[in-house]
Amino acid sequence: MKKVSIDPITRLEGHGKIEIFLNDDGDVANTYFQVPELRGFEKFCEGRPVEELPRIVPRICGV
Amino acid sequence: MAKLKLALYWAGACGGCDVAVLDINEKILDVANLADIVFWPIALDFKYHHVEAMPDKSIDVCLFNGMVRSSEQEHLAKLLRAKSKVLVAFGSCACFGGIPALANLYTRAEIMERAYIEAPSNDNPNKTLPQTKTQVPEGELTLPELFETVLTLAQVVPVEYFMPGCPPTVDLILKVVNALATNSLPPAGAVIASNKTLCEECERKKEDKKITKIYRTHQIIPVPEKCLLEQGLLCMGPATRGGCGALCVKVNIPCRGCFGPPAGVPDQGAKLVSAVASIYQANTDEDIARMVNEVVDPAGTFYRFGLSNSMLKKKRLQRR
Amino acid sequence: MLKKMLAQLGIEEQRVRLDWVSASEGDRFASIVNEMTEQVRALGPMSRDNGGKNG
Repeated sequence: MKKVSIDPITRLEGHGKIEIFLNDDGDVANTYFQVPELRGFEKFCEGRPVEELPRIVPRICGV
Repeated sequence: MAKLKLALYWAGACGGCDVAVLDINEKILDVANLADIVFWPIALDFKYHHVEAMPDKSIDVCLFNGMVRSSEQEHLAKLLRAKSKVLVAFGSCACFGGIPALANLYTRAEIMERAYIEAPSNDNPNKTLPQTKTQVPEGELTLPELFETVLTLAQVVPVEYFMPGCPPTVDLILKVVNALATNSLPPAGAVIASNKTLCEECERKKEDKKITKIYRTHQIIPVPEKCLLEQGLLCMGPATRGGCGALCVKVNIPCRGCFGPPAGVPDQGAKLVSAVASIYQANTDEDIARMVNEVVDPAGTFYRFGLSNSMLKKKRLQRR
Repeated sequence: MLKKMLAQLGIEEQRVRLDWVSASEGDRFASIVNEMTEQVRALGPMSRDNGGKNG
């Protein structure tokens, strides 16, 4: 099956890629959106002092 | 003069550094006059294959922000290194690991477990974890491999310049733009900031460096004009590079260390432990114990932005 | 405080010791070094995790 990749997705904050699978007629059979990154804020915020959190989590998205 | 070719890329980043470049406001037009931006995912639609097709060293300057912890980020670091004459580690993440380097206090397995399985907002009954290769009816999907450790840019490829800050300040960005325009960049290896510590830049009055109690930032309201560390707040100034204009301390926030270690200091966290402990005024064992307890999270406080750049780099697993 | 921070970084506190010994306290120096050597030996090597891509 033919595959069209949009990699990276641009003009937004964050990393993503889109894979579009085309069938023999050239129609879209299926499309997948993937996020190819993980930083782990959900975990490493554990154990930090509570007053630090409002200063750590803005670094999830600087926009 | 022919226009320079400029590229900007983000690896394990938040977008703040890219926005900082836009914070130069109308001066972005000067940048547009000076350079053609050939790659900048937040703003322009160039893809990876465009970069791969460029001749080596055809990009004059690449500003690379974000830490590296995946095979895709490593690939882009190596690719942009090959295609660029000058590679700049832009922002604290690329220079030292940054806030995401706090993930080095946990293992990759712990992070994946929390993010994809445990977190209360998840709907993942099959406990599916992302894989580098996944078969779907139409074909195969791939994802980059996540590394065990958060790395700085310089730990992956050679880097010419370092611009610290979370994010780097507009003044320093303009300084670099100006240097590019006038072809007057400093010698390679330079850190674009001050060579002194933040304390030299800070205008607060420093008197007797002695503390008998450490306060968390919500426990007291600092007195203006007096050194924050002397008031018992954990200001990282003594072992943080200056050059930011002391923006945080000017608004009563103790320095958090985002400009990394000053010149000549290989490990910022160790230096900070030393600096803070050396001004403790405690005469009894109880006082000492109390003051140690008052620093609730030494690793997260002293290595806040620089765990990847430290000597230990990450949590060494304890033997049980 | 160093021990507290090292514990967060996964380094057992028995691997660090601070003592003051004068040049004339030869016996004391030898016994402290021997104690510490045995203590660290009993703990075994630190994890080989050097903080690279794969640990």
